[in-house]
Amino acid sequence: MDRRFKARLDARFGEVLRGPIRQRHDETEMRIGPGDVVPVMTALHDDPAFRFEFLADLCGVDTGDVMQAVYHLWSDVTPDWLRIIVDGLSRDDPRVPSLTFLWKGAEWMEREAYDMFGIIFEGNRDLRRIYMPPDYTSFPLRKDFHLPDDAARSPGGGVRHMEQAHLPTDTPAAAIRRTPASRQLPSR
Amino acid sequence: MTTTRRPSADDPRVMLDQELGVFEPVPPYPPRTEREAEFYTLGDGEMFINMGPQHPSTHGVLRVVLKIDGENVVDLDPVLGYLHRGVEKLCENADYHQCISQVDPLEYVSSLFNEWGAVLSFEKLLDVQVPRRAEYIRVLSAELNRVASHALFMGWMALDLGGLTPILWSFIERDEIVEMLASLTGQRMLFNYFRIGGVNGDLNHDFMSRLGNWMSRATEQIEANTGLLNENEIFVRRMRGLGTIDTPTALRMCFTGPNLRATGVPFDIRRAHPYSVYPELDFDIPTRDEGDCLARYLLRVDEVKQSLRIIDQCLHQMPDGPIMAKLPRLLRPRPGRAYSAVEGPRGQYATYVMSDGTDQPYRMRIHDPSFIHLQSVGLLMEGNLIADTMAIMASLDPIMGGVDK
Repeated sequence: MDRRFKARLDARFGEVLRGPIRQRHDETEMRIGPGDVVPVMTALHDDPAFRFEFLADLCGVDTGDVMQAVYHLWSDVTPDWLRIIVDGLSRDDPRVPSLTFLWKGAEWMEREAYDMFGIIFEGNRDLRRIYMPPDYTSFPLRKDFHLPDDAARSPGGGVRHMEQAHLPTDTPAAAIRRTPASRQLPSR
Repeated sequence: MTTTRRPSADDPRVMLDQELGVFEPVPPYPPRTEREAEFYTLGDGEMFINMGPQHPSTHGVLRVVLKIDGENVVDLDPVLGYLHRGVEKLCENADYHQCISQVDPLEYVSSLFNEWGAVLSFEKLLDVQVPRRAEYIRVLSAELNRVASHALFMGWMALDLGGLTPILWSFIERDEIVEMLASLTGQRMLFNYFRIGGVNGDLNHDFMSRLGNWMSRATEQIEANTGLLNENEIFVRRMRGLGTIDTPTALRMCFTGPNLRATGVPFDIRRAHPYSVYPELDFDIPTRDEGDCLARYLLRVDEVKQSLRIIDQCLHQMPDGPIMAKLPRLLRPRPGRAYSAVEGPRGQYATYVMSDGTDQPYRMRIHDPSFIHLQSVGLLMEGNLIADTMAIMASLDPIMGGVDK
């Protein structure tokens, strides 16, 4: 854990943060809104005090209530991984700016997140399905997409599993796997 | 009375009528994105050619639509998904122990690194301290796996350029190592050896005697194998200057591993973000400045030598003690998130896992270097010949099992 790095992030990005910066093991985690992605990422990438030139990972997350886009960055100024969670994307129309203007290599990762979660990365020139066939309409990694061997929601129970939830809005809310309130992390 | 005769299966006319297995390069729907519209618009004198999905040199099942002008490749569009198994979803529906066997077949020539990434992130979630002997065994077996993977790469690379002999030679090394690992783990390819908090079995006599045997002649054997290619003028002149990428572009394309180090960046997760016992081990990070296919090839040869150094140190420093941490059977980590990355033979294998307090990961993201490197083939290809597509692709060393997850 790099406490000084946390202080520097707080000083620089304090006004755009959604929630406190968390640290655990060798990870520093900060949350921003979709509107702040471009200025925050550009600052982290270009500022000589941060030098986050290496995009380690980009992925989507479906928390059941909202969508998130999660970025992991690496820099030689800190021993920590920097995790940036873009929080609060609506499940009906998740939109977040694309990072292809900084890292061209984010293009396929964004395509994958679009394919699996339906997150639309605005500005990506090639946002089409990458794994699933082009006429596929579901988003398989969303939490309202259930596997066929999920016994409670088998075809015998009247659930068609191969294609479900064509639109995010026609999802029965009860179908989403929810964390019991007693176990819930305050951040989720 | 006429009887309708069914055509027999080996009637050649049956095959003529079937259109199965014929892939039109141009998709039957209007372009959906800017890039797709640009790619599927033909310029003057250009045509499409379809390569794959069952092409012998695609290292798996990959379809590439090439846009060619004469014999030069203008642009290409890789079509993925033929090997997609949805491992991330399967992991989210399995418990933490089962995930290890689910991630195994991702990069099937270097399975231990897939397992390591997953296991490392689970251990972070659970705050487990792994015994030192287990860490050393992990490093030892993983470095052996790296040598096996690189040995296979060298053979494949030559095979994609049309040379058949090197792959036969490199399979001698690879076979020796996988047999060795089989005596340690019980499997030749999909090892399923790492466990949360340790490894599955301790070093045994069979493994140690095979390893000692191999180590005594490994260096000269590898020298002999690489001499076949390094001193081959056809190979070297073909590779030099082919598919060159410079450092800023490599960083923008999110390159990691040998492909990034071949452009001169000494970025290696084992040093940049140390894990396991790598800080205690002494090894160099070889780099090269050219950034072409030859540099990527030679860099892997250098890496094999460093791996042998690490194996040697592991054998000398191997401590005694337990190989598993004490953990309950049913794992329920605290809600939280963990990210961990390991340096595999192709680059950064990373796993990002979210726990919600149950015994299954809530979200498990697997980041695979092959996927990242494959998207740069189009960038490296521009203006090269069709036959060089496979050479450049082979030099980036993607494994389709990892690309398609």
